[in-house]
Amino acid sequence: MTNRQPAYQPSTTDPSRSRLRNGLSVIGRSDLRTNGGKGAGRRAASAAALLGVLALTACGSGSGGSAGAAAGEKVDGGTIRYAHLQEPPCIYGGWVQQAYLSRQVLDSLVSQTEDGSIVPWLAEEWSVSEDQLTWTFKLKEGVKFTDGTPVDAQAVSDNFEYWTGGGNGTVQAYIQEYYESSKAVDASTLEVKLSAPYSPLLSALSQGYFGIQSAAALKERTEQQNCEAPIGSGPFTVGDWKRGESVTFQQNPDYNSAPQNAKHQGPAYVDSVVWSFVQDNTSRFGSLASGESDAIGEVPTVDFETAKPQFQVQQYITPGRPVTLSLNTVEGPFTDTKVRQAFAYSADRKAVVDSAFLGVVPFEPNGTVSQSTPGYNAEIAGEYPFDQAKANALLDEAGWTERNADGIRTKDGQELAIDIVFGLNSIVTTEGATALQNLQEQVKPVGFKVNLLPVTQADLFGGAYSTPDSYDAQLGYWTSPTAGILYINFRQNTAKNPNYANTAFYNNAEIEDLILKANSAPSTEEANTFYAQAQQRLSDEAVAVGLYTQTSTVATSQNLQDVWLEASQGEPVFHDAYFTE
Amino acid sequence: MSTFNNVTGLLPKGARNDGAGSTAGGGPGGAASQPGRRPPRPNNLVTSPGLRRAAGRLLTAVGVVWAAATFTFLIQALLPGDRATLLLNQLAGQVQQRTAAELAPINAKYGFDDPLIVQYFRFLADLATGNLGVSYQLHKPVTEVIGDQVGPTIGLTFASLLVAWLISAVVIVGTARRSRAVSSVASGLEAVAAGLPQYWLGVILLVVFALNLGWFPVVGGSGLAGLVLPALTLGIPLAGFLGQVTRTEFEKGMDQPFALSARMRGMGDTGVRLRHVLRHSVLPGVTLSGWALGSLFSGAVIAESIFSRPGLGKVLVTAVNSRDLPVVCGIVILIAAIYVLANLLVDIAYTLIDPRLKNS
Repeated sequence: MTNRQPAYQPSTTDPSRSRLRNGLSVIGRSDLRTNGGKGAGRRAASAAALLGVLALTACGSGSGGSAGAAAGEKVDGGTIRYAHLQEPPCIYGGWVQQAYLSRQVLDSLVSQTEDGSIVPWLAEEWSVSEDQLTWTFKLKEGVKFTDGTPVDAQAVSDNFEYWTGGGNGTVQAYIQEYYESSKAVDASTLEVKLSAPYSPLLSALSQGYFGIQSAAALKERTEQQNCEAPIGSGPFTVGDWKRGESVTFQQNPDYNSAPQNAKHQGPAYVDSVVWSFVQDNTSRFGSLASGESDAIGEVPTVDFETAKPQFQVQQYITPGRPVTLSLNTVEGPFTDTKVRQAFAYSADRKAVVDSAFLGVVPFEPNGTVSQSTPGYNAEIAGEYPFDQAKANALLDEAGWTERNADGIRTKDGQELAIDIVFGLNSIVTTEGATALQNLQEQVKPVGFKVNLLPVTQADLFGGAYSTPDSYDAQLGYWTSPTAGILYINFRQNTAKNPNYANTAFYNNAEIEDLILKANSAPSTEEANTFYAQAQQRLSDEAVAVGLYTQTSTVATSQNLQDVWLEASQGEPVFHDAYFTE
Repeated sequence: MSTFNNVTGLLPKGARNDGAGSTAGGGPGGAASQPGRRPPRPNNLVTSPGLRRAAGRLLTAVGVVWAAATFTFLIQALLPGDRATLLLNQLAGQVQQRTAAELAPINAKYGFDDPLIVQYFRFLADLATGNLGVSYQLHKPVTEVIGDQVGPTIGLTFASLLVAWLISAVVIVGTARRSRAVSSVASGLEAVAAGLPQYWLGVILLVVFALNLGWFPVVGGSGLAGLVLPALTLGIPLAGFLGQVTRTEFEKGMDQPFALSARMRGMGDTGVRLRHVLRHSVLPGVTLSGWALGSLFSGAVIAESIFSRPGLGKVLVTAVNSRDLPVVCGIVILIAAIYVLANLLVDIAYTLIDPRLKNS
């Protein structure tokens, strides 16, 4: 299968906006038609498909992120039974798995919409000083945390102090280098001082990690209480958490602070959400099929085609760093740019991904920023097509000219062996592992020998594979609503100011300069121009080889309407959801 | 499933040990409670062996728990990777190195940078006072973590054991020493059942009885209806093992004089099987049950994850993955204690089933 075309053809030319719409698309009639030839058609005879067709004809114009299915009578109240994949140790934290949960109970200052613009949430309006160092947020009045304390400027300022004081490592990765101080000018006016201009600030603030908690609760309650039931001003409060089974979220009857992009203001329509943790894919999808759940997250790829005609399926392509191979640029064969480029050319990565994910999860050619991110550089998508001739030529130039009996290239008696480390079932799904196995086969003819090293969560998170001597390539992702993720991943790693999130160990002052220029740009448009240039340079250097996008999916039964996936990280939102009869 | 494969190797040893334990009165404690080497005088016989046996039991139990705790502690502390880094990465969902400044507060809080021996003695001292510590991940006392989750696991363990006994007893009584064909088919099925991978069996049961037939909930939860399929998942392979060890004894029993004499007294075939031969042949099965109780308890995670049940198995796997030492140690100690307790129960069951053992 030689594919000399650019491996991924974007459907439109405007990179950020249309891609975002793609990112948060409702799988509706048109998708069904395009996929009909592949697999869905085979099941067309089933009664379920017939049901699906009926439902789909009813869903004409799904606006925003949700499909309105059969028009039934809206009923107030009820309990949404939602089945989710992973159960994190605490509700609030710095992992996207925690943001899924904390989004239900915490409000953030601002919200990001599907087209990448920022709309009011707890902050009604905001402004930034001429020198871009002082941000002033005007807070909504009359909003209370569910412990009765007011959501005022002091409380928000206390949250900034809590995060940057070690309360949330992911928040620190975004703003630690920029945040200087914050203070309450008056009860509803917050002033945040930065040490340098930081254009992605608002996007960053829209994420679940930046959810505002009751300052009193943070101060006065135990670590265990804040872990199990953080107190915010959100649409739900944390009820009973039966570990290993489910968390119940109770409706907050006084909720009056929904983001502007919510579908309604005021309390949630439903009384509660029982959020259960169902790790097994068969069981999770089965619980929806059998009617035990009203909605499920992480629709298994094998069930995707079955699900589409029967349920309302939404897929959200997460912005930020896609699932990508960071190549070790300081030790081993990938220190040579030509070898890195050859590696990128040597596999039909689109085929690798499509066959592993059955076409459900899109291929991402860009190794540094995913296609749904505002500021995505779509032009570099075609830069490393599958081209064995080029790969061979580059390896010859790099001096890997000999081949041993197994066809592996050698240089000075050394094999061209690549150790790829990945956290199976913690960072990478089994489908992701299949993609890697495909890749392993694909790069063989060119003379690469790939060793796949699936490592345990404890070893991986414990840092056993975090140093330059421990891998040649590492598969990972980092969801983020902004191309400013480049700053986190490619800020230089120096002895004085280490940046261990730079997993390619790639230090390049010019590229860092471009990223810093973007961070300091006066507008998002200008920032994105610089981010695009940085992506171009990183692509030229082939420091990261893109594979696929991190996605978030939700499937809901036909009688549950208006569940939507928010745009910063794809967390399901149940505040607007209601049942029909 | 691999644990079940060990059973054939374990069984004779276990049987011998338990036999020895209940007759000789326990090695380690013997010397302490009885200074003289000579056989005790007749009037001492009333109390001494019982005390010695109890003391020996207790020492063995403490020894087992101590060994399990020490082993767990060392494994968790010595595996590659840094615990403070792990805590930070787990909180941020990242897998990178961490700076000394980031690590310092965590190390100070949990004492990770103290010498290992200091950490070990602190751990033992806490353990001795019954303090299992606070989970690194859940920020919750380990006793509470275990208390919340132990119920469903105990329920599943006993339900599985019950299922296994019921199936194997029915099959044995119904098929052993019948026609050659019936007997060998049943025996073959037992071998197949014993070799079934639990994970595979669980998924099949889930797909057939929960998804397709809809007889049971897909997501088991902690309800009673949700207990049936998980108990079958763990119980069926165990029933195969029980059947295999019981069948030989049962067939031998059918040839014994007592079976013959019962028949001669005019007792029907079923009566002989149920009232005489079955009782005679369950001893190896009882020994196996002692081991199975512990094994089911520690292997519950498979059923727990397929059927989305809460329970200690899942907590243990999560804790191992995040190297949550206090939780891992707490659960391992509990499992060790359950093995000890189960063997004690097996001894008691022996004397109940076969009164001759009481006097030997």
